[in-house]
Amino acid sequence: MAEKTDVWQGTMTLMVLRTLEAMGPQHGYGLARRIEQTSGDLLQLNYGTLYPALLKLEQEGYIRSRWGVSENNRRAKFYELTKAGQRRVRKAAAEWEQATEILARFLAPAHEA
Amino acid sequence: MHRLRALWMRLRGLAFGRRQDGEFAAELESHVTMHTEDGIRAGLSPEEARRQALLRLGGAELTRQAYRERRTLPWLENLLRDVRYALRGFRRNPVFTITAIVTLALGIGATTAVFSVVDRILFRSLPYAHDDRLVSVGLVQSLEKQEFTLGGFFYEWRDNQKPFSSMTFEQGVNACNLTEANPVPLQCARIAQTFLPTFGISPELGRNFLPEEDLPHSPRVALISDGLWMSRFNRDPNVLNKTIELDDHPVRIVGVLPKDFEMPRLQPTDIVLPAAMDVAAQHTVNSGIGFPMWAFARLKPGVSIAEAKAEMEPLYRHTQQWIPAEFRKEFLLQIRSIHDRQMQDAYTAAWVLLGAVFAVLLIACANVASLFSARGAARERELAVRSALGASRGRLIRQTLTEALVLSVAGATAGCALAEILLRVFIAIAPSGIPFLSTARLDLRMVLFTVLVSLLCAGLCGIMPALERPRASALVARSTNSGAHARLRRVLVVAQIAISVVLLSGGGLLMKSFWNLEQENLGMQTRGVVTVRVPLSEARYTTTQAYMHFYLRAEEALRRLPGVSAVGMSDSLPPDSNSWHSGTRYAEISVAGKPPTPAGTGGTVVIRAVTPEYFRVLQIPMVEGRGFTEEERRLSDHPIILSRMLAARLFADDNPIGKHIQQATYNPYITLGGPVYTVVGVAADVKNAGLAGQDDPEYYRLRRDNGDDWNPHAVILLETSLPASVVAPWVRAQIAQIDSMAPAEIDTLAETVNRLADRPRFETALLGFFALCGLLMAVIGLYGVIAYVAAQRTQEIGVRMALGATRVDILRLIAGEGVRLIVLGGVLGLGAALAAAQMLKSLLFHVGAHDPVSFLAVTLLLAIVALAATVIPARAAMKTDPMQALRTE
Repeated sequence: MAEKTDVWQGTMTLMVLRTLEAMGPQHGYGLARRIEQTSGDLLQLNYGTLYPALLKLEQEGYIRSRWGVSENNRRAKFYELTKAGQRRVRKAAAEWEQATEILARFLAPAHEA
Repeated sequence: MHRLRALWMRLRGLAFGRRQDGEFAAELESHVTMHTEDGIRAGLSPEEARRQALLRLGGAELTRQAYRERRTLPWLENLLRDVRYALRGFRRNPVFTITAIVTLALGIGATTAVFSVVDRILFRSLPYAHDDRLVSVGLVQSLEKQEFTLGGFFYEWRDNQKPFSSMTFEQGVNACNLTEANPVPLQCARIAQTFLPTFGISPELGRNFLPEEDLPHSPRVALISDGLWMSRFNRDPNVLNKTIELDDHPVRIVGVLPKDFEMPRLQPTDIVLPAAMDVAAQHTVNSGIGFPMWAFARLKPGVSIAEAKAEMEPLYRHTQQWIPAEFRKEFLLQIRSIHDRQMQDAYTAAWVLLGAVFAVLLIACANVASLFSARGAARERELAVRSALGASRGRLIRQTLTEALVLSVAGATAGCALAEILLRVFIAIAPSGIPFLSTARLDLRMVLFTVLVSLLCAGLCGIMPALERPRASALVARSTNSGAHARLRRVLVVAQIAISVVLLSGGGLLMKSFWNLEQENLGMQTRGVVTVRVPLSEARYTTTQAYMHFYLRAEEALRRLPGVSAVGMSDSLPPDSNSWHSGTRYAEISVAGKPPTPAGTGGTVVIRAVTPEYFRVLQIPMVEGRGFTEEERRLSDHPIILSRMLAARLFADDNPIGKHIQQATYNPYITLGGPVYTVVGVAADVKNAGLAGQDDPEYYRLRRDNGDDWNPHAVILLETSLPASVVAPWVRAQIAQIDSMAPAEIDTLAETVNRLADRPRFETALLGFFALCGLLMAVIGLYGVIAYVAAQRTQEIGVRMALGATRVDILRLIAGEGVRLIVLGGVLGLGAALAAAQMLKSLLFHVGAHDPVSFLAVTLLLAIVALAATVIPARAAMKTDPMQALRTE
């Protein structure tokens, strides 16, 4: 198994938003597990940093939260994307794709050579 | 946008923090529970599963901390906490808080209010381009101290001068009437065509006069003031080229003056007209010296006023030829800035006020400093404890600064309110002579400045204990050892006392001077004297005969009024020397049979043209001879009454009655063309050169029932036992019967004289107020220090008493400390006050700048008040119960 990496600076926001877009409303713990699963368990999330990030997104109006009941009948706080959040995901994803594409071009020739 | 929203949410977080804290705790708990359940499902023991869950969270407390920091604005939260802490501290210590706020409010309020007034006088910029380059140029002589010039001089100066880039003049402002439907009395100024360009004034609308419009007999044009444009034409832009009727002549409007326009001599003006001077005639009209005018000039770049004067001096000497030889020596060239000319003697008063107010600010600052220093000393242990518990130095400093800031804000708020009130009071009680006072507004820069100064005082003194590394000993020592603080506070108290001595002695001197002024014997009766002035329109009263007829009829009508026992008339009234009055030079009075007095000696002599009852109304007694009689008014004799001073000067010990006097005129040689007067009486002296001025000799001519003796200057005096408010409507009715268009200005002589004392009253009231403020604050400071010393030495007092010291010994011990400070401060202050009193010299009347009585009174007052401030805490210390004092240890 490959060494687990920490989350890179600035990518957490995109991961959270993207996961929420894909899965719909989700509570913090579920969100964290889902992100780890999506990364193929390559990412090791510090769960403690997730909540301030969620709060920041909520303050900025990209997500909203409400209390609900989890699949295991636990009371939990659920987060979901707002309209602004959906726009933000699309924009951020496009930007990120572009960025990785550019980086990939830098890396590719060296790999081939 | 989203960032702003986030900021707003964080601010809200500050307010609803507690509820959200609880909510996050629940969320975290639900997270840990779900994680633990997953762990158990994966086969871990419940304890291990929970441990893992908490571990992955990175510590519950750390997470909570990170979350809280994101939720709110940590720095703001800290600040709010400091403020809350400061407020709590202030509530616990109300005496400290109230004293500090009152001190700050007084300091900030008084300084701001006075500065707002003085700023307009000392530092006001004039509404002219580069106003610092503008000067007033003219002649001065003993009868006229405000420089003026004459057409005969001006044009020669203008054409040959070098120091000025341009020279211009105005010819004064006169009453004029808009004679249209709906006539309005206006003020018309006559100015040169070069006037507006020289001052750098451009019309708001339209244009300046053209050079050809400023020639004699050219078509009449005018610029109107912004105020007139508003009131008469409702700001109609089509006012240009409109023709108005001015004193029955058509005048075309060519422009509107800017809103802030003012004449350099500050006369109110509605319309400016071209002077249209006949330049060539200036050496022939008015006995060859030309028409009077007031000249102004703009200095060339780099030329100072002194240099300009030096350069103009030869030119002036050349033009001196136009002055009759006898007076040449009396005339001097004067050039000064327009600013100086406008402000006159308001300067001294303004500087004195400014000085006083800064002294008050100094005292206030010293007080705040000493208050904070005392507080700092008292809190040394608290700071040491907090530092030991891990508070950083920066944190402690921030805390102290926050306290200073909170107090300053409170003090500044109260101070601004006080300043606004004070300013209104100043404006209400101020004499009309202080320029621009009525338009003074609170100066926000000054508010800011004083707040900063007080903040600095409080901050520096508050910070000092926090800056010092809290000593470990402060934690264990039973009594704080704060020698440095105590020393600082003693120095501050000495300084405060010294400054308040300076203030008090200034106030004392002015008070005594004002008292002298009020007690001054005027030499005449002012009570029960009503004066009536009737400004008659020159358009309808064209001859002196017409004036005489009006006033004779008025005299007759007023004599019939009930309650009026005598009616006198004069052309002018004492004691004001600034209002119009006739005058001559002593050297021009020639006594029959005596050699003439050399020209240029003897100063000025006041002349009044009066009717016989003038002396009765004002109750001026005849010392020798007799007064004028009613019969003499209809004769062609020329009787004259001398004042005692003039009689003594002219005749020394001889009997002046029956002597003949003639008025000499120099034209161009000494000639005795005027009537020969016969001295019939000598009247007692009357104050005639202002309340504070040195009396001038005076003589009274009889104003006969002959047109030659009359001119537009006339005032009617009524002696009445009734109040002026009762008489006034009767007088108005009588005047209206003679001429329904003539307005009557009715005053009591007592009020008129009282108004002359407005200025010194204002100065005295203000300085007195500041002196008391200063004293109050200094005493508060002294009380604070002594009370603190007494409290600090409670245990020592207990020990001393236990060892047999009497209560008197204790009183002496504590009060002795205060007395030392008072004596030191008092001596220093007296020295400074004696030096500073020189500044007041020009404001004082019949009081020496080093008047021993005033200084003694001030010293006594200070000693009594300061001793009281010392004895109260000392007495409290004296009553210490030794057992109690020792037990507190």
